[in-house]
Amino acid sequence: MIGRIFKKLSGSRISALFRKELNQIRRDRRLALSLIVPPVLQLTLFGFALSARVENVPLGVVDESRSKESRDLIAALTESRSFQSAGSFFSVEQLSEAISNGSLIAGIVIPTDFARDLQRGRPTTVQFLLNATNSNSAAISQGYAEAVIQNYNAQLRLEGFRTMTSMSVNRIGQTSLHPAFLFNPGLKDSWFITTGVLGLLLILNSSIVASGAMVKEREAGTIEQLLMSPAGTAEIIVSKIAPLFLLLSAMMFIALIMIKTVFDVPFHGGLLPVIGGGALCVLTGIGIGTAIATFSKSAQQALLTGFFINPPLVSLSGALNPVEAMPKWLQPLTIINPIHHFASIARGSMLKGSGLDALWPNFLGLTIITIVLLSLSVWRFRKQLS
Amino acid sequence: MRRIIAQTRKELTQIVRDWRTLLLALILPLILLVLLGNAISLSVTDLPIVVQDLDSSPSSRELIDAFRSSLTLRVVAWPTNKQPDEALTTNTARAVLIVPNRFERELKRGVDTPVQIIVDASDANTARLIAGYANQIIAAHNRQSSALSIQQPVQAAIRLWYNPGRSSKRFYGPGIFVLALSIFPPLLAALAMAKEEDQKTILQVYVSNIRASEFLLGKVLAFMTVALAETLVMMVLLFTYFGLSFAGDPTPFLAATILYAFCVASFGTMIGANIPNQAAAMQAVALGGFLLVFLLSGLIFPIENIPGSLRWLSYFIWGRYYIEIVRDAFLQGGGWPAVWSKTLVIGLIGCFFFALAWVGKRRMQVKA
Repeated sequence: MIGRIFKKLSGSRISALFRKELNQIRRDRRLALSLIVPPVLQLTLFGFALSARVENVPLGVVDESRSKESRDLIAALTESRSFQSAGSFFSVEQLSEAISNGSLIAGIVIPTDFARDLQRGRPTTVQFLLNATNSNSAAISQGYAEAVIQNYNAQLRLEGFRTMTSMSVNRIGQTSLHPAFLFNPGLKDSWFITTGVLGLLLILNSSIVASGAMVKEREAGTIEQLLMSPAGTAEIIVSKIAPLFLLLSAMMFIALIMIKTVFDVPFHGGLLPVIGGGALCVLTGIGIGTAIATFSKSAQQALLTGFFINPPLVSLSGALNPVEAMPKWLQPLTIINPIHHFASIARGSMLKGSGLDALWPNFLGLTIITIVLLSLSVWRFRKQLS
Repeated sequence: MRRIIAQTRKELTQIVRDWRTLLLALILPLILLVLLGNAISLSVTDLPIVVQDLDSSPSSRELIDAFRSSLTLRVVAWPTNKQPDEALTTNTARAVLIVPNRFERELKRGVDTPVQIIVDASDANTARLIAGYANQIIAAHNRQSSALSIQQPVQAAIRLWYNPGRSSKRFYGPGIFVLALSIFPPLLAALAMAKEEDQKTILQVYVSNIRASEFLLGKVLAFMTVALAETLVMMVLLFTYFGLSFAGDPTPFLAATILYAFCVASFGTMIGANIPNQAAAMQAVALGGFLLVFLLSGLIFPIENIPGSLRWLSYFIWGRYYIEIVRDAFLQGGGWPAVWSKTLVIGLIGCFFFALAWVGKRRMQVKA
């Protein structure tokens, strides 16, 4: 049975066209290169270079107290990996100059009567300066500084420090927080980035390769030959898309192997959901590329048009940053963004191990987008052929 | 000189006549600025969290109210008969706060009592932020509830400089401006250069009496004009929509912008001169202009976080220096003393690109 179908297929026009496309692709060395180089390069660069971790923030110190207590506080700040001592300064002016020329990000000013106040049981205030140009790093550094000072306070209390007011008898217990980090206990940024880049890579590269392949026939004028051949439009379209799909799926496997071996991302939910979502992404990319190609007269125009579509697609996807960071009025747009759906699928399946019961909305969204885009491109392509 | 100007004029006319290129040159940078300036930030608001109150006492409700009133976190409803972990796997919430039973009793007895927060760490940065915010909320809550009994011995007065509201628009706006300047002018320059080769019009240049340096300089000048025009349009947006203004002396910014325009125009021309194929030239610019500047210049993610084996690369990335100058001009206002060396480096890198372009085209002959 299967043999008969295969025999029938192998003699058909579809398979002849399919072979023609494959041969064309095989002979184009640059195409093969553009299937291997971008995934490897983008994954390594993005995965290694994009890290929002805040560590070793250079901290300048103005210690006017020069006491054991002030040195303890400075040690508490710098012994964590969050801050790194970058020298002491004599005056606040010197410190602020160092912050403004960029050699310091943070600075702490400990007042003269710091130790005396503490010994007498009076609360005291230290000043903490932070260059907030980078808003994200500033938020995280601020959190670190507050946590360190809280710990320092707790320790002082353990050591028997009593403020004047705390002598009262009815002490109320304090609430403490125990955070547990689920799904990524090591807080590795690369796990978030690579799972996002995967979708970005599949869609962008698929659309570039597809638009190039589609527009080529038109530029070279061989489209007339195709029209004169006995093959129907459906056959031409299927035989154009199928080899591209195979090829781009190969790229997906290269990327997945890299994600597994180089970045050590777990596959808690198995390979199937990721591969299924990835295949839909490739088809979406081919749809976008074909649609672009039908609107363009030359390869240059197709490439330029891609520049109008890809940056918004990437920046509004939540692939590289959380969706909640986008402005409210833009957030609903992610529902028509295939990269967003794939990122949810990849993260849900690989990192959280969720199954179809949790991911079905994303699969549904991705499937609808794929069908719409593919039918649009097929319709445009058909119109062009006839 | 006359020949250089003529070449520049020819180039500009070509751009103006092709609406797609013109749109790409002037409108797309604006779109990119608005889109990315808004969307790319890492600072989040309204993160959904789920609360499981196993105690349901006045104290626990007070604590939860403290979380409710936060702007960063938003408490969403979750049925009590469902496992809290499920809220994380279905993306309903980013974190689950669990208040243990006997929470109030322990507190009343004067025992320090832990509450647990389970954070979805598949996005590590957001997870760190959530843990930090939760910590701050609880610290504030502790201070409030025990104001009479305990005072914190050491208090931190934290001052945020240059960007007190921690507004990310002010941080990313200048960065996206640099990114746009690093992509579009070199892209157009590389395409224009590769096109001459593709369509063989380069032969006409070879037989004319123009010299290689004049030909290249004419091209570079044309795309410098494009870059400066883009700067002008984007500045309008930065001043109005992003609410930025010069923090100090604007002259270093002006000088650096002209040098940067030269640098990116030379980069594009260099690519086009050495890669005589439009598609390949475009990919090369996308790699150099976009990927490298986007990733290795400290645009979004701090340079200090790049591992050492890759970090040295960032010293060669022209965008890195310009970003520092632009941020200084808009946010810090350090003026010439802070940035003169960076301005110089941009000029040097530009000259290097121009030299490379000249080496590629020096002989003005068809390669045999």
